[in-house]
Amino acid sequence: MNVEKMVKETIEMDMTPMIDCVFLLMIFFVLVIDLSQKNLEDLILPRAEFQEPDESPPENRPILNVLQNGTVVYQGVVAYNPLDPEKNKLKLIYDLLFNIREQGVRTNALHLVDKEGVAAKVIDEPILIRADKWTEWNVVGEIMKQCSQPKIAFWKVQLALSEEDKETGEKNASLKK
Amino acid sequence: MSALDDAQEEVKADMTPMIDVVFLMIIFFICIEFKVLESKLDAFLPTDKGSQNTVVEPQEQLSIKIHVQSAGTKDYGRDGPGINPNTERPNRFKLTGHLVKWEVGPKPLYSIQEVKKELERIASDPASQVPDKATGGKKLMSCVIEAYPGTYYKDVAETNDAANAAGFEEVNFGGGLGPGK
Repeated sequence: MNVEKMVKETIEMDMTPMIDCVFLLMIFFVLVIDLSQKNLEDLILPRAEFQEPDESPPENRPILNVLQNGTVVYQGVVAYNPLDPEKNKLKLIYDLLFNIREQGVRTNALHLVDKEGVAAKVIDEPILIRADKWTEWNVVGEIMKQCSQPKIAFWKVQLALSEEDKETGEKNASLKK
Repeated sequence: MSALDDAQEEVKADMTPMIDVVFLMIIFFICIEFKVLESKLDAFLPTDKGSQNTVVEPQEQLSIKIHVQSAGTKDYGRDGPGINPNTERPNRFKLTGHLVKWEVGPKPLYSIQEVKKELERIASDPASQVPDKATGGKKLMSCVIEAYPGTYYKDVAETNDAANAAGFEEVNFGGGLGPGK
């Protein structure tokens, strides 16, 4: 009897450290995911049927958010606001893109490449523009215009869309299955 | 000693169900947060602008113009226009009655479905093939979307989507800047 009791005791395992570790790992991953979402403003994107899902976005892709009133937000900071007398100069968009490029190239996050027929080097990484579905196009057009300036040269521009229109509730066929 | 043992055993609580429930709740909230995938449409900008060092031959491209027919009315709902104190961002509005007209080449069209059909027809026309310098063969001509003042991101994104669906790989942007009236 005494031996049986000892055997029983040895096979009992303390689960507490494992659970602690799993909790810590989960909290870590939740926080990491949250950080990556920090660059995204709460916008309703237009729905499009044939777009590519953004499943493996480039790590260093800059993301510009454009609110309904044309305010441009980068990493949670308002860079341009057409309604603010101190921040309504279009040059602020140029300055923002120029700083993104300079910082990206300095930290090796963005890479300059040669393109056939073009004297200035261009940025190889894309830039993502996220605008609300009811944002006037002229602000997005202005960002694109500044992107094509030789001293900025972001030539690959991506427009963010959604598979579901959160305003009307319309979904893509792929989500209905 | 035996009574003390009993008392010690009683205060032990089984944590397993609570941990299970917490795990399930965490997984549930993570899944809810990231259910809707965001997507993207690629566009390319004219890199030769202002920094061109070679002579570029004019290329044939399809023009898609977007004009505003009815600007629509902004509906802010209960909150009205103003700043949301929690997010410090302006309140969102819905636009109702917004109508646009497309011109694909010279042809006027009034719905995105018609635009898709017309673009598919053009893409399947052998006359739309242009020489491809890179491969020496032929490729589908590029198209340029010209959004006129007063158009919204949705109008352009839908048009870009229709062009991609029809098979146009190279989509450029042009047209009038400036805000709508």
